[in-house]
Amino acid sequence: MWRLQTSLFGILFVIILMEATVIPSIWAPLRVDFFIGMIIAQIIYIPFSQGLPFVVLATLILQAFSGARLGLIPLLYIAAFLAMDVIKNLVYLENSYSQMVLGACFALALSLIAAFLTDIAALEGTVFPMIVGAVFSGLVSPAMVYIVCRLQIAYEQ
Amino acid sequence: MGRSNTRVIFLVAAVALILVLISLGQYGSSSAGISYVREGYYVFEKVVTAPFTFMANLWKDYVLLVDTHRDNKQLSKQVAEMRVQCMTLEELRSENERLRAMLDFKDVHKAFKLYPASLLTQDITLVFKTAIIDRGSRSGFFINMPVVNPLGVVGRVIAASPHTSQVLLITDPNSAIPAIIESSRVKGIVKGTGSNILSLEYVRMDDEVQVGDCVITSGLLGIFPKGLKIGYVQEVRKDERKIFAEVLVKPCVAMEKIEGVFGIGRDVAITD
Repeated sequence: MWRLQTSLFGILFVIILMEATVIPSIWAPLRVDFFIGMIIAQIIYIPFSQGLPFVVLATLILQAFSGARLGLIPLLYIAAFLAMDVIKNLVYLENSYSQMVLGACFALALSLIAAFLTDIAALEGTVFPMIVGAVFSGLVSPAMVYIVCRLQIAYEQ
Repeated sequence: MGRSNTRVIFLVAAVALILVLISLGQYGSSSAGISYVREGYYVFEKVVTAPFTFMANLWKDYVLLVDTHRDNKQLSKQVAEMRVQCMTLEELRSENERLRAMLDFKDVHKAFKLYPASLLTQDITLVFKTAIIDRGSRSGFFINMPVVNPLGVVGRVIAASPHTSQVLLITDPNSAIPAIIESSRVKGIVKGTGSNILSLEYVRMDDEVQVGDCVITSGLLGIFPKGLKIGYVQEVRKDERKIFAEVLVKPCVAMEKIEGVFGIGRDVAITD
């Protein structure tokens, strides 16, 4: 369990590098949410009692790279985690297309909720990059799920 | 049943944690734990990008030197021209100083003590506009330190750890800077909107504001020195049913393109 969790936190730092440094240097307003894919993977492959603490701790780390009010980032992602936990009874999450659609929808929803809780006018002029970001978030979600799946299998053996 | 209880316990703990965090205040991100995270990321980022930086420098310093001789000739010619211009400017400067002395004009803009820094990361969300720079308290950065670049105001430091600082950009919805319009001296507050346009608020309907007017910091509140360029008035909307005009300001600095910035040290005159 600890080896898996340590690896996941290692991946989290790579995610931050991609989200906050690499992608904004390519197109400044673009934000691609890699973490949603990790949440989907947590729901599928990791027990709830390990998944939720990971999401809480990881989002506290993500909070350090945002100007959002302290607690807002964990709040949004924990809500996403819980919503995903409910959705898993309705949707076959192991399917890559489901992961893509859910990744895109959740990335979009989280941006909208964050804007709604702060200042909805903040979205003015950023709708297009937000949609593009959501599409890319959807595309990377299955990849993130696959990475977590491979890690989990590797450490189980 | 046991599984359900575990979930409830975890959920209660998570909600309690969030409530505690929210109650800590708006910019509690300077707490020790979060500072350590940024410090850790600083080391991680330096290690990961080191090979790429090395390759980029190799490319820039050796491979791209093909046209250097021609550039050198052009630059030498430009330097000669600049030297002549400098002599003229030097004369103008000394004349200006003499005139100021004659008018007993007090020079409020003492030389700024500038601390250079480079951009490390941008905000991970689209809604908030913050950036992390690669200089922190050990390099002289402190909370509420104004951050500028040669074009104008960039923002202010809201959290500082030994090697990194978090900068609240002026385009963030939480940013507010006391400002005046340079020509008419109309005062207001420049607020971020989250987009690339700022809003100059509390400007009365009868105040004189024109499109193209330069908006500068007023020096009130003591955070930003007076006279730093913020932006230019892009649009003025007046509705007679409202008390204040809606003034949109285009920032001088393109926030998506910032790379190098300067922090302004404490030894600066900031009062209005």
